Amino acid sequence: MSNETSIQTHRSDAPEKLEQKPTTAPFVDIYENADELLVVADMPGVAKDQVAINFNKGQLTIEGRRAPTTSTGLLAAEYRPVDFHRAFLVPQGIDTEKISAELQHGVLRVHLPKSASLKPRQIAVKAG
Amino acid sequence: MARWTDIDRTLDMMDELRRRMDWMFTEPERGRARPAFRALFDDMERPARAPSAWPAVNLFDTGNALVLEADVPGLSEKEIYLSIQDDVLTLKGERKSDAPQGYTAHRRERAPIQFARSFSLPCRVDLEKTSAVVKDGLLTVTMAKAPEAQPRQIQVQAK
Repeated sequence: MSNETSIQTHRSDAPEKLEQKPTTAPFVDIYENADELLVVADMPGVAKDQVAINFNKGQLTIEGRRAPTTSTGLLAAEYRPVDFHRAFLVPQGIDTEKISAELQHGVLRVHLPKSASLKPRQIAVKAG
Repeated sequence: MARWTDIDRTLDMMDELRRRMDWMFTEPERGRARPAFRALFDDMERPARAPSAWPAVNLFDTGNALVLEADVPGLSEKEIYLSIQDDVLTLKGERKSDAPQGYTAHRRERAPIQFARSFSLPCRVDLEKTSAVVKDGLLTVTMAKAPEAQPRQIQVQAK
């Protein structure tokens, strides 16, 4: 099971606590065209301000926290609403400054544009 | 020479196995659940990655109302058809493919799906006081219980 471990400091005199929350990997599609890589992830129940996307040392991490919903009187359960977490190794040649993301209807899209040197280029032939 | 598609397929299987191990721990216990370990493997060969019942739902009883929650990522309010007749709730719709044009796909886990599920609710509900909201891909249906199903306190009298 994947667990996300985070250190939380509550009071300065209290010992640090390790909080473990279960997480699950969201379903993703990965697409590529000449300009960019596109990662599409299903993150139902996650609001826009609860998404964290990090790019560090060639690793793209997407995280989403679900807002707490109804919690009392569970009659039948088919899923447990746990937070989302997934990491990808990204090939070199991504323009990290221009990574962008959007979230709509619980679907996250992360655009990873390729840097200019990797894009296909047509070389014009000059007449001599 | 091994073909790349074979290797891809092996990697896919390993991913799937990992997902299932995760799922085994996060899936709440169900009364009629299959033995977890057998369930891990017995549909491994299915080509589709879609879960057998989509969307997964949770049902709550909050006292005065029944609340149904379902994960419907990618669906807007126009793509969900919800009806209640007597005590049967039906959820229908289609999640269309949202593959962008002109891209090659490296990985596809979010399959397009047509779904229809029906549930018998544990009591009658008041249709006038029923609402359904979809927000961030999470559908929440709040159904007030019918007057005869509302909890009622009975005063105990001394004699």
